[in-house]
Amino acid sequence: MNGWILAATVGLGGGGAAALWGVTTGSPGRRVIAQNLTTSAVCPALLLLSQGYGRPAYVDLALLMALLGPVGTLVFARLLADDLADERPSAWGLTWAAAGLAAAVVIALCVAGGPGRAMVKLLVIGALLIGGNVIASRALAGGFREVRGG
Amino acid sequence: MSDAVITVSLLLVAGCATAAVVQRDPARQALVLSVLGAVLAVLFTVLQAPDAGLSQLAVGSALTPLLIMLCVRKVRRRGRTKDGAR
Repeated sequence: MNGWILAATVGLGGGGAAALWGVTTGSPGRRVIAQNLTTSAVCPALLLLSQGYGRPAYVDLALLMALLGPVGTLVFARLLADDLADERPSAWGLTWAAAGLAAAVVIALCVAGGPGRAMVKLLVIGALLIGGNVIASRALAGGFREVRGG
Repeated sequence: MSDAVITVSLLLVAGCATAAVVQRDPARQALVLSVLGAVLAVLFTVLQAPDAGLSQLAVGSALTPLLIMLCVRKVRRRGRTKDGAR
């Protein structure tokens, strides 16, 4: 067990437990925020695991997660729009903390891996993760009112 | 010592699965199910089966919740129109 896997374990345990606790208790708004937090917690853990196992191919999982996680949150934001309309759930502190975690992990992996094609892939994953997280949070907070309804 | 990450993901999967069963409202079940999909993908990765993890991620994080939420919406709408017809 090396430091990368240890970091992944800590991130996965903390983020996963927090998301599980948030998604099972409280108001619908809190639950969707916790569901959104899952992506931000699991995707950096997958990146760290790929580095820890020394298998660059595992990065594909993180790429797919960064792509599909926000899509899943947007599904909930769209289809639960009536329940979320009065609440307008938002947790911008948590959102930016998750974005900071993603940026820190991507930068650490870039430094460890050195320049090259893998580094470009890592940067793309980081941009997708942070951008998707911010867009999903804004959609949950009611930032895109014009696409609601239906 | 390297079993720690496997233990953590197994515990998370067990917790998520139990929580998904315990919830009563289908919409909330769909939310927990989407978390379960992500955690299961991590478990598969940790057990060195990333191919299974990839398909689990694709199906579990977006597709299954979408299907459930569409069904819930359709059922709710049908209930509403029946109430209006009465």
